[in-house]
Amino acid sequence: MSDAIRHRLTPLERAERRLGFAMLAPAFLLLAAVVLYPIAELIRNSFHFNHLAQPWMGTPFVGFENYVKALGDDRFHEAVLHTVLYILVTVPGAVVIGLGLALLANQPFRVKWPVRLGLLLPWALPLVFAGLIFRWFFEYNQGIANAMLRGLGLEPLNWLTSPGLAFFAICLAIIWKSSSFVALVLLAGLQTIPKSFYEAAEVDGATKWQQFREITLPMLRPAIFVALIFRTITAIQTFDIPYAMTNGGPGNSTETLAMYIHKTTVDFLDLGYGSALAVLMFLVSAVITSVYLRHTRRDPGRH
Amino acid sequence: MTSRFTRRMATRLGLAAGLALAGAAYAQAQTTLRIFTGGQQRPDVMRQIVDGYMKANPNVKVEVEVGGATSEQQQQYLNTVLASKDSALDLILIDVIRPAQWAAAQWAEPLDAYLGAEKDAIMARYLPAYRAANIVNGKVIALPYFADAQFLYYRKDLLEKHGLQPPKTWDELKAAAQKVMAAEGNANLRGFETAGAPIEGTVCTYLVPLWGSGEDLLKEGKLNLAAAAAKKPFELWADLKAANVTPPNLAEIPTDRIRQNMQAGNLIFGMTWGYVWNRLQNDADSTVKGKIGVVPLPGFTADKQATCIGGWQVAVSAFSKNKAEAAKLARYLSSPDVAKQQAILASHLPVFPGVYTDAEVLKANPWFEQALPVVQSARSRPVTPRYTEVSEIMRTNMNAFLAGTKTADQALGDMTNRLGAIFR
Repeated sequence: MSDAIRHRLTPLERAERRLGFAMLAPAFLLLAAVVLYPIAELIRNSFHFNHLAQPWMGTPFVGFENYVKALGDDRFHEAVLHTVLYILVTVPGAVVIGLGLALLANQPFRVKWPVRLGLLLPWALPLVFAGLIFRWFFEYNQGIANAMLRGLGLEPLNWLTSPGLAFFAICLAIIWKSSSFVALVLLAGLQTIPKSFYEAAEVDGATKWQQFREITLPMLRPAIFVALIFRTITAIQTFDIPYAMTNGGPGNSTETLAMYIHKTTVDFLDLGYGSALAVLMFLVSAVITSVYLRHTRRDPGRH
Repeated sequence: MTSRFTRRMATRLGLAAGLALAGAAYAQAQTTLRIFTGGQQRPDVMRQIVDGYMKANPNVKVEVEVGGATSEQQQQYLNTVLASKDSALDLILIDVIRPAQWAAAQWAEPLDAYLGAEKDAIMARYLPAYRAANIVNGKVIALPYFADAQFLYYRKDLLEKHGLQPPKTWDELKAAAQKVMAAEGNANLRGFETAGAPIEGTVCTYLVPLWGSGEDLLKEGKLNLAAAAAKKPFELWADLKAANVTPPNLAEIPTDRIRQNMQAGNLIFGMTWGYVWNRLQNDADSTVKGKIGVVPLPGFTADKQATCIGGWQVAVSAFSKNKAEAAKLARYLSSPDVAKQQAILASHLPVFPGVYTDAEVLKANPWFEQALPVVQSARSRPVTPRYTEVSEIMRTNMNAFLAGTKTADQALGDMTNRLGAIFR
């Protein structure tokens, strides 16, 4: 089949094609150098013992030993559990809040920029800044949260040193930080919905709620899917905000998978085991993404 | 003809030689050394010190790079720089717990060759603990910059007001703190603080009471946490917490927060390091100038006091491109003159016993008189190339216990299991 096509190409077309590949080559090489090579190196490392604090041990091939170790590592299990909990709370949380923000920003305001700026600011802020700001909010002595509790005559809470409250505080920070990105995606989706649909619905006597359920939500589905995919992939990699707020504490009770990988490689210098953990995270990420993609591929015909 | 030729040749040669000389001088003037220090090791004082060095050595330019407020944050950064064999840093200030790891990872240039025949004489000048910490397998890995140990800082004015003596035992400390807190009736005034956040200093929060009860983490290289003494630290901190002497947020307190709270007048007793003195006495916003005393840490009994050894060393990076110049600067930074300068400017404890009795040093730090025996008897955290892991296990479990998410038995059990895998 492909042979047949190639034979039908004129010399000019063939030259064009060569030129095309040549022009793609720099981008491909760059991608290979910064993405493919590190991934290959990561996978290779994950099958070796490589601990920089024990250089005398060398870097022998150990087969699946690092992976077997991960399966029996309680701390890995806990980190996976925490990561899943962050995903389950912050992804829907960000989508719900983000949808509200998008609907608000889509209102026919006369001056649009303050709303748009308010939407963009949290998104433009570096993650670790957001983490530090929220850490100050929830600080025991100087934090706003406890100042409010004291103002109400209540006892201050150990926001960042009790696991449940720390999880809550971190989720709040992540939702605040990420819902604006979701809102931007959904706002773009909202603006593709023709006004005439709403006018027609209005004529038919549909309430605002009915318009939202029957027009906005279905028309917004593709945008919501895109937002969900992006948000889930970043949620799997949750690192900066808990790192800045609790550094995984108290104990390891708010530690995510990405934080455990960072600790294993950068702090403990155990590159072999850390690489195996990173490959496992990559696999989880790939599986979730492919589930989403399959879902969206089935979808487009519907609308 | 010949003469013209030779003359021309000579001018050319002269020109070339002149250029070469100028080039050499230029190259010499361009020797730039970059030294890395942590934000808490008084980079401002280090700048003053290297300014003096640059004046005496105009061919060297020294840049001070500041990073990481805590020991483990600094090490995180250094891990990435050194694991990638980056030559950007020439000298690095490292915590006293690190030389074994640095020697194993081959990140520090051994200094033996640069010290030459004087090596033994040079090393003999230091306090024995620092000599021992910086020589790993017979090689000099770094040179001591300043010494440190944990002391008990206390509010002299409040203790005198309520007729109390500085405590010698933990029980006395508890009673004194309770008495002062009750009498003062100030809701912001806390009794006692030590590091409780998951940071390096929290390792000492476990080890000091462990040593105080007569045991150590390792016995002949084997983990030694089975004895009843291993539980003593948990019992001590639980007792002080139950008595409301420690604040409810002890688990979020890093080292420098103790200094800040003391400086704001909100703390009666603090278990912390030497640098704090100078800040409390000299910082513009200090509310406790002249109201602070420093004594050795309490023990379970008055005769068994223990403390953690600290302090910072200058290492020459194995990847530096100016090792000889860097080693020269390291020797300068590790000299009695610089130790005296640091003692006066930053209340950094000297690594040379003689400097403690210097009149000017004592004028700036009257408590140094009692400090020498404390530093001399201070003990080392476990020495191992895998120290970062050992430290992480101890501090996260201590932190979980202080936060109340693990019981003493759980924390000790997890500590024993994970440390056991390292010290097999």
